[in-house]
Amino acid sequence: MPRFLTDFLQAGMDGLLTGALYALIGMGLALIFGVMRIVNFAHGAFLMVGMYVSWILFDKLQLNPYIGFLASGLFLFAFGWGVYKLLIQPIRDRSDFMQILMTTGIALILVDSIQLKFGADYHQTIIDLTNRPPFGFGPFTLNRAALMSFGIAGVFIVGLQQFVVRSRTGQALRAIAQNREVAPLMGINVTLIQGFSFALGIAMAGLAGGLLLPALYLFPSVGEDYTLKAFVIVVLGGMGSIEGAAIGGLVLGVTESLTSAYLGQQWALAVDFVLFLLVLSLKPSGIFGRQRA
Amino acid sequence: MSALRGWRIFALLGVTLAFAAVPLLVPNDYVLQVVFRIMLFAALGLAWNLVGGYAGQLSLGHVAFFGVGAYGMAMFHARHVPVWLAVFLAACVATGFAAVIGSVVFRLRGPYFTLSTIAFGEVLRLTATNLVSTGGAIGLSTPALFPPKAFWKMFYLSAVALAFVCFLVNAWTSRSRFGYYLMAIREDEETASAVGIDTANYKLRALMVSAFLTALGGALYGSAFQFIVPDSVLTVEISVQIAIITMLGGAGTLLGPVVGAVLLLSASELFKNKFQESHLLIYGILIVVVVLFLPEGIVGGLQSLLQRKAKPPANAAPAAGSAAPAQGGD
Amino acid sequence: MPTILELRNVSKRFGGLRAVKDVSFAMSEGEIVFVIGPNGAGKTTVFNLISGFFHPEEGTILFRGQDITRVKPHASARMGVGRTFQIVKPLPSLTVLQNVMLGAFMHTGHLHQAEDDAAKILDFLQMSHIKNFLARGLPLAALKRLEIARALATKPKLILLDEVVSGLTTGEALALADLIKRLPEWGVSVVGGVEHVMQVVMKISDRVVVLDYGAKIAEGKPADVVKDPAVIEAYLGAKYKEMVH
Repeated sequence: MPRFLTDFLQAGMDGLLTGALYALIGMGLALIFGVMRIVNFAHGAFLMVGMYVSWILFDKLQLNPYIGFLASGLFLFAFGWGVYKLLIQPIRDRSDFMQILMTTGIALILVDSIQLKFGADYHQTIIDLTNRPPFGFGPFTLNRAALMSFGIAGVFIVGLQQFVVRSRTGQALRAIAQNREVAPLMGINVTLIQGFSFALGIAMAGLAGGLLLPALYLFPSVGEDYTLKAFVIVVLGGMGSIEGAAIGGLVLGVTESLTSAYLGQQWALAVDFVLFLLVLSLKPSGIFGRQRA
Repeated sequence: MSALRGWRIFALLGVTLAFAAVPLLVPNDYVLQVVFRIMLFAALGLAWNLVGGYAGQLSLGHVAFFGVGAYGMAMFHARHVPVWLAVFLAACVATGFAAVIGSVVFRLRGPYFTLSTIAFGEVLRLTATNLVSTGGAIGLSTPALFPPKAFWKMFYLSAVALAFVCFLVNAWTSRSRFGYYLMAIREDEETASAVGIDTANYKLRALMVSAFLTALGGALYGSAFQFIVPDSVLTVEISVQIAIITMLGGAGTLLGPVVGAVLLLSASELFKNKFQESHLLIYGILIVVVVLFLPEGIVGGLQSLLQRKAKPPANAAPAAGSAAPAQGGD
Repeated sequence: MPTILELRNVSKRFGGLRAVKDVSFAMSEGEIVFVIGPNGAGKTTVFNLISGFFHPEEGTILFRGQDITRVKPHASARMGVGRTFQIVKPLPSLTVLQNVMLGAFMHTGHLHQAEDDAAKILDFLQMSHIKNFLARGLPLAALKRLEIARALATKPKLILLDEVVSGLTTGEALALADLIKRLPEWGVSVVGGVEHVMQVVMKISDRVVVLDYGAKIAEGKPADVVKDPAVIEAYLGAKYKEMVH
């Protein structure tokens, strides 16, 4: 195989591995923003909290992050529901403007409280898996930790998708997404389902945070970029589509990886945003999207 | 809101001068630096108010213009342009940027608009971080606008002057067709176009004026701190700060941005010692409180309290049947 | 009288649905024409097409001899097409006077001139006593008039009144109808749209155009149109369907 082709495929595969986590993050936001119409500018901050939960368990109890991430997800589910009840529900029918401000405020509080409690220092989470040599086949090598995250994320991606499509709760959720006025007439408790969806979306960010922990340095504002990335993913996938967000996540992962390989890593984030602006202005329904409501 | 005419202008000027003179009596660089920031952010809040307040477009990308002001000044000056001309040229470049950015972002609504403004700011930050001509992550040193003697005094006074200019622009806007058109756009774009307002065009004009003033603020800031890096003058935190100052004080009001700047910056200054790096915590808490309990901001809330007297009584309906005596009705 | 507005074979689709099918009609200056038809007949779409909020796939719209088929809403307003909205759209945090001034600003940049112009129109619409109230919280009858006042302030040649009396009590509707009848005094031709064949409309309109499922099924003097079997069928059919559901 010619060198340029192996390089290209290698970058593509690396991108898919990262992309699975992006898919998880994006699906969480798709539930909150795409389906429930809550503009959540704190998604990355919640992800960061998920990382800290997993890190504390690792640091204090030596719990492997690949188990600890479950605790991150559970904690953020409960935490997300609390935040919904206390801060989001009172303003859910106000303008986008107010929702953006509120969730920006929540993000500032989360980041700075964590900073106050744990300081601004960087933490590294070294586990056995990150130290092992990469897994190789043919001319390709894959990072074992990333491979592990990819597998776990895949299970949750399929699980969430099936849940939304098949379960009664998932049906109620889609009914609300289609028509919030009619849903209560069908015996659906809108507030309950909305709170649940918000919490579930936040939990997805928490799970992704836990899974990202071995791959990243941890510091309070680590989640900042992920808020915008999550919106990029949702927009790429087409509003309101959980499956679209999963694909959007993979696309973003591959785009970043290819950008890093050919332009340099420092341009990856900039390319994300340029892609975002292009999609919004040229094809607002998303690359794979149905129409945007 | 009453007209700004005749003696009122002079009264305003007098109050501003008196206000401006007070900190000069305290020849302490720390105090001057704090009041400089307060005045600068009051100016930035007023500039943002045109777009975010009157026109109701929640931009979180104003740091783009701020950063272009600072970087533009430094880069023009490095090419031997006289320093004040460099400031002016930088503001013009920022205005040009506003035209380009506006033509993209104003096609989007609601959260997509806000997100795309953030994205533009971030693209600029990342570009400045990665280019050699902008000094990359290391940054650039900036030219001094004032001699070292009376350095902070002069910066403080120029921030006051900028805030005053921004205030006049706001005052004129609130009493002009331009301002009425912006408010119409904020309230309902369809209605606005039904009365003949070219909404895209007016939003763009507001953004360009706002960008020019914001860039002047950026240049002042860049020069005052003598050195700029992308993370100091192109960070999204500045955009958020400008918006929150205005929202807290009252978006779309004349005094709101000034009140917001004084309150928020003094609060964060007080908490800086207590919380060190976490002083944005107070911002977060204030935002949550304002959104929950005071959605119109401090000045806005007070105004509607006063206006409540002017609320229509239950019988405000036009008298039915009185139009034509010939009409029988039923 | 010269023709002020003419629709020639205008059609508009939304997805697969044809909301307006091959509609043509013309009206003269000073006329009051009402477009009527059951709910969903395409009246609002016709108004949106004339005022530039939508553009048709086929057909031509002429206003005072000029082709305005693809003109944008603000440009069409500047050419002299004023409109109100079916769902009233006041600017809530502005006062009644300020709402009307927005229209008046089309012809003057001076605040006081705009205030004077707006005050005259509010006087005509008998709203002077509430001119300093915020539009937020006004009763529907006042909001309907406010819509007309704002449109009238742009000094239009043609005014489109979408469902202008719907939701009003009979007394309120009759009072408003009398004002609408006087609009030609301001040099304005009127196209109104209503769902039901109301007494009110029959009385003030010179001519009626009837739409059903997006197509024109009848046109003529109000008294003749109500006897048209196609019109009766359209309304009875709609009623029948309502009963079934």
